[in-house]
Amino acid sequence: MDRRNFLKAAAIACTAAIPAKDLKANEKFKIDEDRVGVLVDTTICIGCRNCEWACKKAHNLSTEPLEKYSNREVFENKRRPNNKALTVVNQFYNPKNSQLPIDVKVQCMHCDEPACVSACIVHAITKHKEGPVTWDSTMCIGCRYCMVACPFQIPAFEYDKALQPKIMKCDFCIDRQKEGKLPACVEICPTETLTFGKRKDLIEIARDRIKRKPNRYSNHILGEHEVGGTSWLYLAGQDFSKLDFPKLVSDPAPGVTESIQHGIFAYFIPPIALYALLGGIMWINKNKSGEE
Amino acid sequence: MKKLSSLLLINLFLISSLFAQQNVEPKHFQQQIDCKTCHKCDVPTKDDPCLIACPRVKMLKTYPSPESSPSVLIIKKLEDRYNPVVFSHRIHAQMSELSGGCETCHHYNTLGPILSCNECHSIKRLRDDVRNPDLKGAYHQQCITCHRQWNHKADCISCHELKKNGNKINIQQKIAEIGNKLHPKVKEPTKIVFETNYNKGKLVTFYHNDHTKIFGLDCVSCHKNDNCIFCHDKKDEINYKTLIYDKPIKLNLAESERHKMCSDCHKTSDCNLCHKEDIAKPFNHGISTCWALNNFHKQLTCIKCHKKNKFIKLNNQCISCHKDWTEGKFNHKITGLILDENHTDLDCSDCHINMEFIKKPTCDNCHDEKSFPKDKPGKLIKKVKP
Ligand code: SF4
Ligand code: SF4
Ligand code: SF4
Repeated sequence: MDRRNFLKAAAIACTAAIPAKDLKANEKFKIDEDRVGVLVDTTICIGCRNCEWACKKAHNLSTEPLEKYSNREVFENKRRPNNKALTVVNQFYNPKNSQLPIDVKVQCMHCDEPACVSACIVHAITKHKEGPVTWDSTMCIGCRYCMVACPFQIPAFEYDKALQPKIMKCDFCIDRQKEGKLPACVEICPTETLTFGKRKDLIEIARDRIKRKPNRYSNHILGEHEVGGTSWLYLAGQDFSKLDFPKLVSDPAPGVTESIQHGIFAYFIPPIALYALLGGIMWINKNKSGEE
Repeated sequence: MKKLSSLLLINLFLISSLFAQQNVEPKHFQQQIDCKTCHKCDVPTKDDPCLIACPRVKMLKTYPSPESSPSVLIIKKLEDRYNPVVFSHRIHAQMSELSGGCETCHHYNTLGPILSCNECHSIKRLRDDVRNPDLKGAYHQQCITCHRQWNHKADCISCHELKKNGNKINIQQKIAEIGNKLHPKVKEPTKIVFETNYNKGKLVTFYHNDHTKIFGLDCVSCHKNDNCIFCHDKKDEINYKTLIYDKPIKLNLAESERHKMCSDCHKTSDCNLCHKEDIAKPFNHGISTCWALNNFHKQLTCIKCHKKNKFIKLNNQCISCHKDWTEGKFNHKITGLILDENHTDLDCSDCHINMEFIKKPTCDNCHDEKSFPKDKPGKLIKKVKP
């Protein structure tokens, strides 16, 4: 048995041994036809990073003043969303015009069939029928299954906290949405790179933009079919793999699978069996303490 | 849905042909504007095009001159954190003449008053119909796409002054500062030498002044889609602005793009027509076509003779252009020499052998010891240069 198969078997054994969320239980869950989403048009984004600032403000994360965000040096390294920034903008070379680099905002995609939800053994992550995928800190046991399962490498862990570290990710500003407001990043974006609306409308709009300007766009709406569809959709002027998006199939990512081939996976799989076990114990303890 | 959209398409086609009869844009449904910009309903028909009321007489475009356009606009519809933006409209209008014209920004350009942006672009971001960008998005897409190419910034304070401690900008002062600014006159280069990667001829010499003065091209014939960065790039200090075109320059363009600049008029299939080892001499009609232009012809623009911009070989007989220069009708005075009585009734070919008027005329057919120009068959009224 090679390493990969062993891990797979171990993962399956673990998920079978503990009260994992059964995918089939999802069948009752009916996703809303009119669920919302955001269309990110990377051909419009100017990389002003106002969205990063607004996101932090809306989530009470510490941040520098907005004026500091015009610093372009941050683009020298590629960044990932983490516990300090739920969304980040990265910059890529534009072969069509070197003066107009491509800027790409990254955050949780709010998958229609989220792998993180399937992977979470204590139901701490929820897919709402309106679109957002949110995370509940009171239930999380810190097992990091979701980090491994997410095909877009989104959930991030508070490594710098020894006690009660939290998993963090974009929550689609669900609280703001409930108040009838736009997500903070959508509201601030100066260019309306981020268009908020019903997902089905956004797909029509995206198709229309491609049809009108076939030279500007590559004929692909990322998130229309990938991993079963996502609430956040992307348009770009070139192949998404050149913009650091993983190559994905249209099947939903089935929780912990071998097809997820990013760095974290290789690094985290060994402790996962242990985490699962510990997770089970913690979960039981948590419930116990709740009863006391 | 499919059915609906095909119905829509057929209808659009019908309307478009209606417009075509009025000698207007034949393919108006292919324009890069949304149908809903003009039509209120989902399925506009010939009988009921359900047009939105806007100042549209015909689907024609209007091009006010930069001088007649407003010098400054104050953008303050969306004032929030920032003070109003004082936008120097006129200088932008002037610059746009080399970069796509009014439509660069007024992309929905009708005959009649210019529509204000918020007729189509909502001032609300949270809205039901999100097909058009909202006003804030539309403004920024319009401005920053150009500006960030030449100053490599995407910060807010380049255009917006921050409202801090209630400070207000003095709009009148701002208007006075930028209101009358015009772009300085662009200095035209004589020649530009391009260094290329082509092995069998590295240099392409482009005589800019020949193209404008002799070939009679307008600036916009070539510079219609230029961006400010064509001349100004704030990152690169040694830029076109300071470049005096005394050294070969390299173009940062894809091959197809490079050739496109010339291929509208020139054949680009024969590389060595343009690619040479050395800097080429300016165009000379005599060397290139073996028919040197004399004084009169030198003053003409090419298309006077080469009609329809076709630079093909023409018949060089005078009569092929000067239709009325037939024997008996031609007035010799226009050559600067009035023939005397003895010579007026001669045939042209008596002096101009084989009717070759470029060559020196001969007297040998009648006279033994005479020759032109020492002896003249009449009175010289102005100096004739051969
Ligand atoms: S992108 Fe990742 S974290 Fe976000 S919903 Fe999908 S699987 Fe979950
Ligand atoms: S939707 Fe909200 S949480 Fe998500 S990236 Fe935008 S501002 Fe941040
Ligand atoms: S605010 Fe908008 S334009 Fe600015 S970086 Fe974010 S997505 Fe891009």
